[in-house]
Amino acid sequence: MKKKIITRRDFLRVAAMTPLAGALASGLKAREKPSLDKARVVLVRDKNALISFNNPHPEVIRKMLDEAVTTLLGEKDPVDAWRKLIKPSDIVGIKSNVWHYIPTGRVIEQAIKKRVMDAGVPDTRIDISDRRVRRSRVFKAATALINARPARTHHWSGLGTCLKNYVTFVSDIPYYHPDSCADLAKIWYLPQVKGKTRLNILIMLHPLFHGIGPHHFSRNYTWEYNGILVGKDPVAVDATGLRIMQAKRREFFGRERPLQVPAKHIFLADTRHGLGVSDPDRIELIKLGYKEGIFI
Amino acid sequence: MDNCSSKEKKDLGSLLPQEIQGWKAEEKDRSYDPQTIFDYIDGAGEVYRSYNFRELLVRRFKKEGQPEIVIDFFDMASSKDAFGVFTHDLEGEDVSIGQGSTYKGGLLSFWKGPYFVSIYAEEETEETKEVLLNMGEAVASAIQEEGAKPDLIAVLPEDEVDVGMVHYFHNHMILNYHFYVADENILLLDQKTEAVLGTGIKEENEHILLVVRYPETQRAAQAYKSFTEVYMPDAVEPGLVQTEDGLWTAAETKDDLIVIIFNAGSSLLAKEMIKKVEDRMSRR
Repeated sequence: MKKKIITRRDFLRVAAMTPLAGALASGLKAREKPSLDKARVVLVRDKNALISFNNPHPEVIRKMLDEAVTTLLGEKDPVDAWRKLIKPSDIVGIKSNVWHYIPTGRVIEQAIKKRVMDAGVPDTRIDISDRRVRRSRVFKAATALINARPARTHHWSGLGTCLKNYVTFVSDIPYYHPDSCADLAKIWYLPQVKGKTRLNILIMLHPLFHGIGPHHFSRNYTWEYNGILVGKDPVAVDATGLRIMQAKRREFFGRERPLQVPAKHIFLADTRHGLGVSDPDRIELIKLGYKEGIFI
Repeated sequence: MDNCSSKEKKDLGSLLPQEIQGWKAEEKDRSYDPQTIFDYIDGAGEVYRSYNFRELLVRRFKKEGQPEIVIDFFDMASSKDAFGVFTHDLEGEDVSIGQGSTYKGGLLSFWKGPYFVSIYAEEETEETKEVLLNMGEAVASAIQEEGAKPDLIAVLPEDEVDVGMVHYFHNHMILNYHFYVADENILLLDQKTEAVLGTGIKEENEHILLVVRYPETQRAAQAYKSFTEVYMPDAVEPGLVQTEDGLWTAAETKDDLIVIIFNAGSSLLAKEMIKKVEDRMSRR
């Protein structure tokens, strides 16, 4: 069957609905029948999360991560919660992000690694990487992945998301650039990745909500949100992060100002690729920590 | 002034300063080509590739206790593409450097001749802003040649679009960045097509005017057919349709060009706009 071409007019048809999700859902058939269960996402915020820009407080981060994961898994003890995610026999790749201006960073990487080790995985079977994942011995043999990256606007995909963080698993990155990276979710079905992701962490300590110039970065367009979003469903986590970003942009610019490039890959991951849930009505969002300026 | 287009590669580093107001250049510059640019900048590398850039030279400047400053100096090989890549992001204050410039949030961008220049401070302060502008002046002065803007811009009527905010580009990805038309390349754009996109306001309504020039007349005809078949299968007359928001889209082709007006307030306005562009085309 010939693929339906989506035009601007498809968006106009459903302008009264959630534009992208509506248009894409009506125009395309999802790969899998969506689950009726809600996807749980936990947002945890702590005013003391940051010592300074790109310098999170290690103890506070560990506490936030524990609160998020225990809430997500319905466990009281963080190690018990992590044991629900990771088996001692697992080989674990912690997929980080090294973007110079706002990286995942060592504090968060080490907080995750500690809990993976607490779950019984020895150091020798854990690796943390971004650009080396296709060469890393551990990543190549990985049975489990933990995906952690900062949220930021992105020049080509609208938003740098958990979904997008797996782009380094492919050799031909430009192949995924057309139509504002619409089909990034395809990567999640590649053998090195498929079905291995146990946890997605979208770091929102000081997100970049607007980008400028070749480097798509200015400190002027970041803000201290002091949050971390955690979930098993990458699409639900990203869709929630996107709502926060859009709300921040609305506040900052004083008007509705959509991302220059729509982050359609999030919705298409749901409607075209059946990877997860993007509809807020199908996401159970649990909010922990302070509520001031929460935007959601 | 001509459309300076050079095949010779210059020593780009000789056009950049070594020190300004205490910010000293690092010992080594770095250089990237269209294949290696993703090693340096993330997805935005695609923008420069889409404008056929030839080389990027990066020089970093440091001063103790101060934010780093980076000059990204792009040899675009032609002034048309230097202008084009500059028009990719026109937001900001015009600071009158080179042949067109903007400053915002610690970032100065300008173009001159076949070069596009971005000077960036990792944190914006009053001092870095002053240094950035001085660096920009220094680089612009070192570039001897000026270049012409693409002649295609001249077909856009000044009274219908904001000429200071016109985007010039080649391909489908950049069109969709500025104005989403379709997920597939229904206008058959590629690196050899030239396109200008302008925005104007008429009767409180913001319309978009797009003109594309193809390498051959036959290609323009094919693109017109492709566009009208996909975008306006319900056209009320050839090349004219009322879209779901009650506004009008009109398209016309002549010789090697296609002109499209999106979001016109009425069919009459859409046709008038097309006619104005056609008149200017015939005067070329």
